[in-house]
Amino acid sequence: MIIVEIQYYALLREQAGISSERMETTAKTALELYEEVRQRYGFSLSSDQLQVAIDNDFSQWDVALQNGQRIVFIPPVAGG
Amino acid sequence: MKHFEFSDSMLDTGALHASVEHHAAGGYASFEGWVRDHNDGRSVRRLEYEAYVDLAIKEGERIVAEAITRFGIHNARCVHRVGALELGELAVWVGVSSAHRAEAFAACRYIIDEVKHRVPIWKKEHYTNGDSGWVNCERCAQAPEHTHSHDHASVHHHPPHEPHVHPDGLQAPDYSRQITLASVGLEGQRKIRAARVLVLGAGGLGSPVLSLLAGAGIGTLGIVDDDTLDASNLHRQTIYSLADCGRPKALLAAERIRSLNPEVDVRPYVERASEKNLTALSEAYDILVDCSDNFSTRFAVNDAAVKLQKMAVVASVYQYEGQIQVIRPNGACLRCLWPKATLDGTVGNCAEAGVLGPVPSILGSLQALEVLKLILNLPSPATHSLILIDLLSLEVRRVEARRAAECAGRTCQRIPQPLLTSDTEPLELLARPLQLYVDEGYTLIDLRDDKERAAEPLHVDHQCILAMSLISKPQQLDSNSRYLLLCSRGQRSLAATKAVRAAGISAAWSMQGGLSCVTPA
Repeated sequence: MIIVEIQYYALLREQAGISSERMETTAKTALELYEEVRQRYGFSLSSDQLQVAIDNDFSQWDVALQNGQRIVFIPPVAGG
Repeated sequence: MKHFEFSDSMLDTGALHASVEHHAAGGYASFEGWVRDHNDGRSVRRLEYEAYVDLAIKEGERIVAEAITRFGIHNARCVHRVGALELGELAVWVGVSSAHRAEAFAACRYIIDEVKHRVPIWKKEHYTNGDSGWVNCERCAQAPEHTHSHDHASVHHHPPHEPHVHPDGLQAPDYSRQITLASVGLEGQRKIRAARVLVLGAGGLGSPVLSLLAGAGIGTLGIVDDDTLDASNLHRQTIYSLADCGRPKALLAAERIRSLNPEVDVRPYVERASEKNLTALSEAYDILVDCSDNFSTRFAVNDAAVKLQKMAVVASVYQYEGQIQVIRPNGACLRCLWPKATLDGTVGNCAEAGVLGPVPSILGSLQALEVLKLILNLPSPATHSLILIDLLSLEVRRVEARRAAECAGRTCQRIPQPLLTSDTEPLELLARPLQLYVDEGYTLIDLRDDKERAAEPLHVDHQCILAMSLISKPQQLDSNSRYLLLCSRGQRSLAATKAVRAAGISAAWSMQGGLSCVTPA
């Protein structure tokens, strides 16, 4: 069990109804974590439409999560 | 000064403009993105921007820093709004100052394009009918199968690997116009599809070669090029766009091919083709197409084709003239025509000598044609020949290329032996009549002083370098040649060989015992 902080933006924030949460999880990777919250909130986006950032840097989905990390799931962007 | 920032209030363009001013700058370009009243046919009332600020600032700073190094500009800055914006408001501002206008425009374009793709900023549109939606998110939620990327890390970096699905469901070009040719037909199209072609160089020759072969439906196309796109390439390399300056050509060409024909398995290699990697690279291909701009690559392509018994189509241009030669297993190769590989720098390339765009385009188109002729087994001149084309007089000459006599019935004798020698490679070669070494392709270097030379002159081709001069400056030797170092007794030549090898020039040997062993006492 680890505790991570998850942050949601844009569509994910609206679908989750919250912008961040601290969560206890058994997920080993960011991918497993996303599947867990996707189940919980019914996110319409699948993981391969997203990017993930761990502690404010883009990351691979299969990197092992560690206690206390800040995880952000990033939907497709539309800057400009 | 920060190069990338967010603002939650109206932007002051006057102050922003002043912040990139530079006395060395002769030009300034700016891009402003405004809130527009419609998108995708829907009427928009207002916008909201949301950003993942910590990561967005990092990524934004990276983008501006990339632009500054890639385009050599003086200064650049980008500011993006967050929060609620009304119609007509300034949403994003990019400003670039530079010595000349070309790089200012290119850098400005680069920054806004990369920001749109890479920086975590989301836009929510509020429509006049009361509805609202997150731009991009909704669209991919509805049609996930079209926006998949298999490479998560590249989602925000120009998603080029996505299937290019045409609105009408087209997956590939329609080849009917070439299949109609009696000599092509469905069988020929299958041969084209099965072919694997490696193109060395994605420049003036490579541009038409790549686009025509991709259009024809070649199954596998490899692209080797280590260069990045420069604005001076565009007049002749028209598969690229001005906005792509600074990016690796192999990757750009691969993107272009994927959008032209998604059926092609395109494999970009961002590396320089040389004798070190060509054998390994060429293994998986049937035909090599040399579109390089230098002799060392051209001869390396030739040698790889000869050694691996592959076909190669080699071309080059010089101002208004061009040459093209098809190399087939057991036919004449470049070394039959030029036994001594031409050294780079002896004849000008496009950058040095200048060139009009259509000249490499014509030669490259001919290369693509020769490749298709080889694949389809179409009629070609019976004899191996070098074709010389003068595009001013429009004269074409065919010079018969005969296989060198010494190579008749066996493999090419003129390709230098592998130059890379191992640590165990002996430093000395046996004393033999010097002419034998000359015939085997060694360059002889006489290390003796003037007096010794006068007393015992050499009667074969050789160069003179004093032993001390060579030991202190071994780099003066060319790493593409093989050297036999000579002195009277083999002592100085052994010392010099060690120095030369230590400098990374591995193909040098000392003649054991020196000249005293081979010249009459």
